[in-house]
Amino acid sequence: MANPIDPQAPGGGQAPAPQQPQGGGRGGQAPAPQAQGGGRGGPQVPPADPRYHWAPPHSSIGTHVKRLDGPDKVTGKARYTFDINRPGMLYGRIVRSPYPHARIISVDLSAAQKAPGVKATHLWRDPADAGRSTVMFQGDEIAGVAADTEEHAIDAARLVKVEYEVLPAVIQVDQALAGNAPPVFAASGPAADTTPGTPRSNVRQGQTQETGDIAAGFKQAAFTLEQTYATHVITHVCLESHGAVCEWDGDNLTAWVSTQGVNATKDGFAQGLKIPASNVRVITQYMGGGFGSKLGAQDPQAMICAHLAKAAKAPVKLMLDRKEEHLATGNRPSAAARIKAGVAADGTITAFDAESWGTGGAGAAAGFPLPYIYQIPNRRRAHKDVFINTGLQRPMRAPGHPQGSFITEVMMEELADLVKMDPVEFRLKNLLPEAPNAMHPTYLRQGAKEFGWDKRHPTGDTTPGPIKTGMGVAINTWGGGGSQGRAHVEISSDGTVVVRCGTQDLGTGTRTLVAVVAADTFGIPVSNIKPEIGDTVYPPSGGSGGSTTAAGISPAIRIATVNALDELKKKVAPALGVEADSLVAANGRIQVKDSPSKGMSWTEACKQIGAQPIAADGAWAPGLSSVTTSGVQFAEVKVDIETGIVKVVRVLALQDCGLVISRLTAESQVYGGIVGSLNFALFEDRILDRNTGQMVNPNMEWYLLAGMSDIPKIDIRLMDQSDRGVVGIGEPPTVPTAAAIALAVRNAIGVTVRSLPLTPAKILQTLAQQRA
Amino acid sequence: MAEKDDKPGGFSVSRRDFLKTAGVVSAVTAATSPAEADAQAAVNGVGPGNVPVRLTVNGKRLDLMIEPRTTLLDALRMRADLTGNKRGCDRGACGACTMIVDGRAVYSCSTLAIECQGKEVRNVDGLATAAGLHPVQQAFCDKDALMCGFCTPGFVMASVALLEKNPSPTPEQIRKGLDGNICRCGTFSRIFEAVSSVSARGQRASLEGSPGGADARERVGVGPHAQLNKGVTRG
Repeated sequence: MANPIDPQAPGGGQAPAPQQPQGGGRGGQAPAPQAQGGGRGGPQVPPADPRYHWAPPHSSIGTHVKRLDGPDKVTGKARYTFDINRPGMLYGRIVRSPYPHARIISVDLSAAQKAPGVKATHLWRDPADAGRSTVMFQGDEIAGVAADTEEHAIDAARLVKVEYEVLPAVIQVDQALAGNAPPVFAASGPAADTTPGTPRSNVRQGQTQETGDIAAGFKQAAFTLEQTYATHVITHVCLESHGAVCEWDGDNLTAWVSTQGVNATKDGFAQGLKIPASNVRVITQYMGGGFGSKLGAQDPQAMICAHLAKAAKAPVKLMLDRKEEHLATGNRPSAAARIKAGVAADGTITAFDAESWGTGGAGAAAGFPLPYIYQIPNRRRAHKDVFINTGLQRPMRAPGHPQGSFITEVMMEELADLVKMDPVEFRLKNLLPEAPNAMHPTYLRQGAKEFGWDKRHPTGDTTPGPIKTGMGVAINTWGGGGSQGRAHVEISSDGTVVVRCGTQDLGTGTRTLVAVVAADTFGIPVSNIKPEIGDTVYPPSGGSGGSTTAAGISPAIRIATVNALDELKKKVAPALGVEADSLVAANGRIQVKDSPSKGMSWTEACKQIGAQPIAADGAWAPGLSSVTTSGVQFAEVKVDIETGIVKVVRVLALQDCGLVISRLTAESQVYGGIVGSLNFALFEDRILDRNTGQMVNPNMEWYLLAGMSDIPKIDIRLMDQSDRGVVGIGEPPTVPTAAAIALAVRNAIGVTVRSLPLTPAKILQTLAQQRA
Repeated sequence: MAEKDDKPGGFSVSRRDFLKTAGVVSAVTAATSPAEADAQAAVNGVGPGNVPVRLTVNGKRLDLMIEPRTTLLDALRMRADLTGNKRGCDRGACGACTMIVDGRAVYSCSTLAIECQGKEVRNVDGLATAAGLHPVQQAFCDKDALMCGFCTPGFVMASVALLEKNPSPTPEQIRKGLDGNICRCGTFSRIFEAVSSVSARGQRASLEGSPGGADARERVGVGPHAQLNKGVTRG
C-alpha cells in the first residue's frame, strides 16, 4: 500500500495525487497491483499463535449489532469538527483564485485587516517567490482571514485585493491531447511546475505495457471491435466539508480536523508548521464523510487555520463552503480508452489493444486498471495523463476501478453480442479459474438465478410504448486488507472494558466494529465495551483508506483482548482451583471449557482483578486478515425513450469481504456503494465552462445527486468467507453498479451509450443517431 | 420563509417544485399573523449590525444579538451552540439543516432567523425527551438508517414533519416527503425502512412499489433529471 502505483498496471489502481498520504480513504488508495485486477489467493494462513485465531463460535462477530453512536447521531449530540465551538473562537475564510491559471502580482491585506471583527490574516501565496506565486486552478488558495463572526470573515475576505496576471489555461482534455491548448505544464518533473524556462507539455505519456502476442491474437479473432469509451469527472461532495478547528496553548496545537487519518494529519501539522509532532494532538470524533478526499495530511485549509489561530492567539474554526469543496478538495479523474479487441468464435477474447487517457487536473495522474479483471492473454495498453487547470484529483472510493469497470464491461457486452453469447456466459468464458479472492464465476451463476436473468430479453426491448426495460451485470475486485492497527485494552475490577485505538470512524461503523471484536473475545455484550477512537492520544493506527481500516485494526484488537483475557484467566484460576489454560470466556462468564458450570460471571471474575486494571496491547499481525474481495452486481432499469430518463428499478449485489465483523454496518456499506455508483452513472457531473474554466455547477442542486425517489430496490448478499479473516468492504460495492446500469440501459434501448453520465440528453441523442 | 412544502398533506410539492416559487414565497411571507407582522416590521427597519432577535426554540426563549442577515441555522449553531442540525450546502438543496417552524419543515440555511420571531422553532437538539428518543430517532438507530450521520438530523426532522402531518403516508408519499434531503453515504433504503416502520402503515411498505400500482411511466418520471425536465429553475 505504500507506493504510488503505476497507473497502467492492469488491476492496479492509480498513483495518488502529489501530497496524498499513504493508505487511502473510504475511497482510498488502490491496492497493490495484482494480476488482472484479481490476485489469486489461496486459503488464509492461520496466525502464528493459535490463541488469536478467529475461532467460532462467535457471540458478536458477524451479528447485526446496532451502531453504538446511533443515538448520538440521531439526537445531534455527536460533535463533528463543524460543530466544535470553543470559547473565544474566531471564524476563518480563505481567499481563492477566480482564475484557472494566474500569477499573483500582489496581495493587499490592509483593507481586510481594518474590517470589522478581523483578528488575523495569513498570506498563503508569496508573490515574491516564483515557486509559490502561481495559482493553477479556480479555487486555488491565496490567503486567509479570521474574524469574530463568520459573516465578518466573509466580508473581510472580499476586501483582500489581489492583483493577477492572468495566464493561458488548459480547460479541455481534447485540445490538450490534440496539442491545440496553450502549453502550461512541465514536460518532465512535477507537472504543475511553472518555473519559467521549463519545457512545457500538457500530456504525460506513460510506458506501453504489453503481454503476449497482439498480432497473433487478432489473427485468431473471428470478430474485431473498435470503439472509444469514456467516464467523466465527479467530486466527492462529503456532506461535512473539509476543515478544522485549531487551538494553540503556547507551542502546543490541538486540532479538531475532519480527516480520514488523525495520525497522518498530526504528522502533517508538525512538518508544515515546523513544530515537534509531540506538540500536536488531532481529534476526529465524528466525521461527515470523506470518500478518499480527506486523506491530505497538509491540506491548505488546515494549515491556514493553524496559522490564523497562532496569529490571532485564539481558536479558529475554518470550514469550507460547498463551492470550495467542489473546486479544491479533490475529484475522481476522468478516464477514456480507444480500444481494439478481438474475439474468437467460441467467445474467447484473443486480443486487446488500448490507448487510454484521463485527467486528474493540474498535475495529478489519472490512472485506472484496464482491462478490468477479465483474462486476455494478448494485450497492450498505452496510457497518457492529461493535465488541465482544475483542482487535483484525490482518491475517490475505489480509485480507478469504477472507470476501468465501465470501460471494460461495456466492451465486454459489445463483444458478447458479436459472438451472440449471453453476457453472463461470455463473462464466465473469459474469467480466470475461481479462487477464494476471485469468486466471480460462482457469484455470476448464483446472482443470475436469483435475479431472474433468464427473463432478460435480447438487446433492444420490443415492448410497445415508450417505456423500455433492460438488465445488466458487472463484476468487481478490490484489495482491502490492512496492516496498521494498534490497540490498548483495559479491564477494570467493576467489569468495564475500555478499548483505545487511534483510528477514526468516517461513518463506516469503525467505533462499533472496535466494540464487536472486543465483546466477542470476552463473551460479553457489546454494550459492555467502551471504544475510544478518533484521537492521536490513542495507539496510532493507519489512515482510513483503501478499505483497510477493519482489516488493520480488527487483528490488533483481537490480539490485545486475547492478551487481556489471558491475564484475567490468571486472576480467576486460583479462585476456581483450576489451571488458567482450562478457562474460556463465553456467555458472560469465565468458565472451565469442558465443565461450564464450574466458573463465575464476568462481573465476579473481574472482582478478582483488584485496584490495578488489567492492561494489554496488541498490534496487527499476519494471519487474521487477507487481501482482495470479489463481487458481482445485477441491475434492472426502465428507460423512457421519449424523455431519455432512466429509472433504476432494482439492484442485486453479491459481495464478499472475508470474515464479516459487524454485519449491519457492512450491509450499509454495500447500500451506500451502490447508491454512489448510481449517482456516478446517472447524475453527477463536474461541468466546466470550456472557455473560462469555471465550474458552472459548484453546488448541490445543479450538481445532481439522487434523492429518495431515485433509489431502486436493493438486495444484498454478503458472501461469508470467515476462514479468510477480515478484508474490508468500503470500496468494492461502488465499483460495478454504474457499468451494470449502463448495460441495462443498453439492453433496454438497443443502442450503446459509450460514455457516462447517462443523461436524458445523451440517451436521446444516441437514439437519434441510431435512427439517422 | 423557505418552506419545504406548502400544501395540506404536504406531499405533492417537492423541494424542486418549491424552489421554483421560493422568491415569491419569501416576498410575501409573514403577512398573515400579528406576530409575523411584527417580524416583518423588524425586517424592514433594522441593520446592518447586530439587532436583538427573540426566538422560541424547542419551547425555550432565546434572546440573541445577531445581524439581520443571519440565517436560522447559523443563529442556532454559532450563537446558541445548538449544533444538531448541520450545514451541508447552505442553499436549500441538501436538507441537512431541516428544522420544523410552526409545524412545517423548512431549510433553516435559507430562512432568516429574524423572520422566525414569534414562531415555534424545533430543531433536532430538542426532539428527544427525558423519556428517551423520539420514535423516528429510535427507528433510525434500529434500522441503521445512518452512516456518517451528517445528514441524519435533517432526515430525522423531515421525517417527523412528514409523519406529524400524515401519520400513515404511502411509500410514494414517504419518498416524496424526503426527496428534499440528500444522504451522500447512500443509506436511503434504510431511511425508508425506518420511516415506514414508524408510520401507521407499519412494516407493510417496501421500496419495491406503490400500493396504488403506479405505472412505469410515472415511476420513470422522477428524480433530479425529471425535475429539471419540468423546467424548474433554482438558486
